[in-house]
Amino acid sequence: MTSLTTMISVVALVAGLSGQHGKTDAAGLTGTWNMGLQGGHVIPVALVLEQNGEALTGTVSMPTQRIGQTVDVALKGEFAHGSFTLAGAIEGSKEPVTIEIRGKLNDEGMLEGTVTMGGRGEGHRDMPYTAERLKERSQ
Amino acid sequence: MKPLSRRHVLKGMGVTVALPFLEAMVPARRASGAVAAMKKTRLVCVEMVHGSAGSSAIGVRKNLWAPAAVGRDFDLAPTSLRSLEPFRDILTIVSNTDVDPANPFTAKEIGGDHFRSSCTFLTQAHPKQTQGGDVRCGVSLDQLYAQRFGQDTPIPSMQLCIENVDAAGGCGNGYSCVYTDAISWAAADRPLPMIRDPRVVFDRLFGVLENGATRAERAERLAEDRSILDWLLSSVARLAGTLGPADRSRLADYLEHVREIERRIQIIEARNRAGQLRELPSAPVGVPDSFSEHVKLMFDLQVLAFASDITRVFALKLGRDASNRSYPESGFKGTFHDTSHHGGKEEKILNFATLNTFHVGLMPYLLEKLKNTPDGNGSLLDDTLLMYGSPMGDSNLHNHKRVPFFMAGRAGGALPGGLHLKAPNGTPLANVMLSVLRAIGLEDLERFGDSEGAYNIGHGQPD
Repeated sequence: MTSLTTMISVVALVAGLSGQHGKTDAAGLTGTWNMGLQGGHVIPVALVLEQNGEALTGTVSMPTQRIGQTVDVALKGEFAHGSFTLAGAIEGSKEPVTIEIRGKLNDEGMLEGTVTMGGRGEGHRDMPYTAERLKERSQ
Repeated sequence: MKPLSRRHVLKGMGVTVALPFLEAMVPARRASGAVAAMKKTRLVCVEMVHGSAGSSAIGVRKNLWAPAAVGRDFDLAPTSLRSLEPFRDILTIVSNTDVDPANPFTAKEIGGDHFRSSCTFLTQAHPKQTQGGDVRCGVSLDQLYAQRFGQDTPIPSMQLCIENVDAAGGCGNGYSCVYTDAISWAAADRPLPMIRDPRVVFDRLFGVLENGATRAERAERLAEDRSILDWLLSSVARLAGTLGPADRSRLADYLEHVREIERRIQIIEARNRAGQLRELPSAPVGVPDSFSEHVKLMFDLQVLAFASDITRVFALKLGRDASNRSYPESGFKGTFHDTSHHGGKEEKILNFATLNTFHVGLMPYLLEKLKNTPDGNGSLLDDTLLMYGSPMGDSNLHNHKRVPFFMAGRAGGALPGGLHLKAPNGTPLANVMLSVLRAIGLEDLERFGDSEGAYNIGHGQPD
């Protein structure tokens, strides 16, 4: 249980993405999103995205089993036809844990979709989420 | 005859016991005015962590915290506040307020709600994310009051807690543990430590380590299982000889109350030293394993302190974020943290409401004690304000919206009581706290925390 992969506590299910196209505002998906991963309870997670045309890059700070500790995972993906996909991997063990984030921007300006985690021959664990754009402020 | 000083004390070896309010302290010719001038609002601020079941969507619909009706005809029966029904005339519920300073302001702060929330409750200020010594939050409500009205009491304010809050260093998500553990802040960079052990509170109230007492003398006293009153016999006799019958009776009742609390602490210490398995093995011997016994003892100590005017301000932290303590006395055996993360499921939300109800259900004990303690022409309750709340709303979402909050007591007429006020969406709890602070004497306070203006606690409209 010491490997980084087994420390990841998130769980999930693969959610079917609807064909609805969310609307985008001028900023697109660029910014910081406060993502609520719905496992046994809602886990707040930081998702930071940068959109350049259809290309997306970013990071997601995934919680570990140690309360209060997170690991940043680099993401790459694309935004097309109102939906987006992002993928990354948690390095640091023999077999990386993969993370895939699918979603869309809904009519309320929130992201919604599913995070899928897989690796180490344990199958996939999926978790739905919603994400609200963070009102970033100085401390 | 010259009146007895309000600051007169009984002294013995290493012991100082302040006096309750006595008629002999009032100048004979201006009794009523003098009593009024001597009275000051006492403040008790109680924080519970993890919000309430009634802050969830289902909880709002089922009125698990806030009653359905606003105004005076509210029904407490479905709510976690139902134990307060006997005190509804002095109850002011303000629902639907937010604690935005507990929200993350940057990406790095996301996920740190458990470690950041408690310090925001009484400060309504956003903490600086640091694990070092450069902590920064805001001055807390209790300290603003104590700095103005607590300076002429032997102890300006006291900070008590029920759970272990002694963690050092960082607690998680880049936050120092003081943000998780301290609810009272004397300055933006000065969190105040909390006292968990009732023995320590007792000794501090009665100056056991002061006035020349050495640690060896204190140890001797504890070992002999004697009462502090044993060292005061001659001092008490001397004073009693100068008092009238009513004051003598009041003094005797008060000292008996001191003795009774001291005896309870001694019994707890003896029980915990007996070597039997404890539910709280790491807790000091003065801490009872029973949550309700601990809280009630802390309340009794607060009443004693108010009665003798040793201090007028208490902050009490009932829980600690992410604690997995269970409360079997509530009738539900599930652990707190897990239960508060109810997943939005109704059955689990109702379990969490059971815990909320249990915690609130301890407040009438304090209110009843205050009501039954004479003070001047009335009781301590007349001039006390109990404030109870949480900086979190729906704990399952870790949000800070629709936070649970109520006040009990008229605070010397500052609050009308008997009211449920529902604030407009997005109202900062700081607006309410600003109004309360102004009502209890800080009229010149312009802002508090993230307040946007005052909220009229008399009828619920903006001032």
